[in-house]
Amino acid sequence: MSYIGIIITYVFVQNFILVQFMGLCPFIGVSKNSESALGMGMAVTFVTAVASVVCYMVYYFLLVPFALEYLKTVAFILVIAALVQLVEMVIRKMTPSLYKALGIFLPLITTNCAVLGIAILNIDNGYNLLESFFAGLAAGLGFTLAIVLMSNIREKLELTPVRKSYKGVPIAFISAGLMALAFMAFDKSLITNLHLV
Amino acid sequence: MKQYIKIALILFAICAVSAALLAGVNAITAPQIAANALKETSAALMDISGGYSLGEKRDGEGNVNYVITLVDGKTIMGYVLEINSNGYGGPITLVASYKTSGELIGAKMMANSETPGLGKKSEESWYMQQFVGFGADKPIPTSKNDLADPSLVSGATVTFTGVSSAINNGCEYVKSLGGN
Amino acid sequence: MSHTKELTKGILKENPVFIIMLGMCPTLGVTTQVFNAIGMGAGVMFVLLCSNIIISLLRKVIPDSIRIPSYIVIIASFVTIVEMVMHAYVPAVYSALGVYLPLIVVNCIILGRAEAFANKNTVLDSALDAIGMGVGFTLSLILIAAIREILGAGQITLLNLSESARIIITVPGLKDSPIRVMTLAAGALLVMGYLKALFNWMGDRKAKRG
Repeated sequence: MSYIGIIITYVFVQNFILVQFMGLCPFIGVSKNSESALGMGMAVTFVTAVASVVCYMVYYFLLVPFALEYLKTVAFILVIAALVQLVEMVIRKMTPSLYKALGIFLPLITTNCAVLGIAILNIDNGYNLLESFFAGLAAGLGFTLAIVLMSNIREKLELTPVRKSYKGVPIAFISAGLMALAFMAFDKSLITNLHLV
Repeated sequence: MKQYIKIALILFAICAVSAALLAGVNAITAPQIAANALKETSAALMDISGGYSLGEKRDGEGNVNYVITLVDGKTIMGYVLEINSNGYGGPITLVASYKTSGELIGAKMMANSETPGLGKKSEESWYMQQFVGFGADKPIPTSKNDLADPSLVSGATVTFTGVSSAINNGCEYVKSLGGN
Repeated sequence: MSHTKELTKGILKENPVFIIMLGMCPTLGVTTQVFNAIGMGAGVMFVLLCSNIIISLLRKVIPDSIRIPSYIVIIASFVTIVEMVMHAYVPAVYSALGVYLPLIVVNCIILGRAEAFANKNTVLDSALDAIGMGVGFTLSLILIAAIREILGAGQITLLNLSESARIIITVPGLKDSPIRVMTLAAGALLVMGYLKALFNWMGDRKAKRG
């Protein structure tokens, strides 16, 4: 698949939240205001892009040569946990302003399905290093798109009369369902028809 | 310092124990997994062989992974092909058997991730039956309007296109072999 | 707290899916068929039980500073075992669960129970907690899957191992013209939203009475 095809696939067609449900916990938890949603989205994008590349290298340069493919899940989650820690330390030292914006979200990202999900999907799909990087980047951008849109909807919902039992999480899920309906317009045949396969 | 060494040792021990445990489980399950894959493929191949015996296996070209000749005694009567294509849920693999004329004997969907209730229908036997008999005098139906009942595949056009183009590619490939 | 309470709290009072809202990703990802929900529930229950027991056993050995990486390694190992065993003996379930199977590792329920319960309690209580939470999780998955499969495909798949080992109950009427969107992503989110609203409403009513 071409790089543009991969990006469109993971941002729209296979949107991690609205189609694959990966990263749903932060999506519901951190989407109450648009500022923190954007921060979370950027932090996730950064980590998915870096984790895709690092996990690719760990898999093909470490696990495959020693025939240890079955340790994939264990190795990936350890790599991601270490990576998130490292990113946190580096950002804190290098750019305190960025740390202020992203810092509180970073510890949450280790257990975000989206990061482990994209690392595993890259291997399952047989992507090469550059394709993995673009897939990781696009998955994160798709996550950001969905969470920012959602936070804007939820800010409006705060001011709208909603029945008590629907307040908060239930109406958020229903809104997300309607967003997912809209995202169905980005059909897989889009990629085929645009000759991006 | 001593504290760090102790912590590192504990973490290392946990990792070592779990790696050893996984190696053990892998040693037990790996042969079974390989056997499953082999069994599934050979059952599918026997299913669509049309009563002929399986002959030698050759490498294919392009989308065709491999070719196995179908023989009656020593004469080549046809071929079984494993073909890759793209469905709705990503790559699909199917096996298809043809007479030397290019006429489809049978086909079976193998690995795929199509949508249950829609594209997944391609795993059922009636789905491939729609193509059987085509390929020699009558061309393989590649648009759903060529089918006797297009409504059967409605809602899963991408899957249909993937399957039909794979079967059509296989047909062309068989014709290019010219009975050898 | 009594042992029975540890066991039953996960089913309704602290239901992991509808009340604590953990482990959303597999909950919605695999609930297109009831049988997939059962498979995922069994996988999660096994991992939860094993990791809760091991973590509870090692709670005095593992230093606080490395507890998260240690838990992750323990959980990931059990997930890999489930993956390998399912791949070998129930390949149909393995392929149906797809990428959501390794993602059990990051299912917040498991790490959540390790953090919140197993590292503070005895082995017996931790095991009971795991069984209760696992049953609660599985039942929630089956509920969501049943709604989605009945409305979206007009059937309930109880068993689907191969063409010969299949139990499918069809719902007349819906089978021919199902509401297909329910099996797709949007349907999952809508069902989850309405179910959560229902649970909130029941909770409120109980609170008013009590």
